[in-house]
Amino acid sequence: MDDLTEMLKGTLEGCVLEIIGSEETYGYAITRRLNELGFADVVEGTVYTILLRLERNGLVQVTKRPSGVGPPRKFYALNDAGREELAKFWAKWQYVSSRIDSLKEGGR
Amino acid sequence: MNFWEKVTGSDLTRDWEAFGARVKDLPDDYREAWDQIVAHLFPYGDFTGRNLTPILDSALGLLEVSAADGQSVHDVFGDDIPGFCTALAGGEGARTHRDRWREQLNANVAKKLSRLGG
Repeated sequence: MDDLTEMLKGTLEGCVLEIIGSEETYGYAITRRLNELGFADVVEGTVYTILLRLERNGLVQVTKRPSGVGPPRKFYALNDAGREELAKFWAKWQYVSSRIDSLKEGGR
Repeated sequence: MNFWEKVTGSDLTRDWEAFGARVKDLPDDYREAWDQIVAHLFPYGDFTGRNLTPILDSALGLLEVSAADGQSVHDVFGDDIPGFCTALAGGEGARTHRDRWREQLNANVAKKLSRLGG
């Protein structure tokens, strides 16, 4: 599906939180996971800036690990504040998606 | 940063030399992307540009890791290096030289107007 980027913008941070929440992971793997899910337009640079924002807001714990090739990679795991933020994201998502669904079905 | 460095900017020169050495090891297309990133981040610099050093360091880190993965520059940035730089510099609201000039201008105009009793 094309042109999802604009729609995704507000939710991508939540998606990244969810992916990190299920296991400690790094930027490239997060991008691959989103691509597999069908968000083909998401590039690593985008994910990287989200990760920096999460780091700046104190929602993740960052560990540097040596990689097979090249410089060390940064691995991300959720801390308590991150888990709280993730729960808030799903609550908001639940609200938005239920409102939009009922709009589509003509209910109220 | 000590006084000598602050006055001469020798710490900045050293940082830029270190960046240059790292950039030299990158593939051609990555070096091109680096030049674009530097150009797009420059307006976000403060008077000396020292605030850019950590931002550029993290951008260069991403370039190095992705080049080692064998990804193409397009895989990493898509078509939007300026957008990447904006996000890197702290989002749409990041202050640039232009914002500061604009504020200064507005403040001056407001002052002049109030003096005229307008």
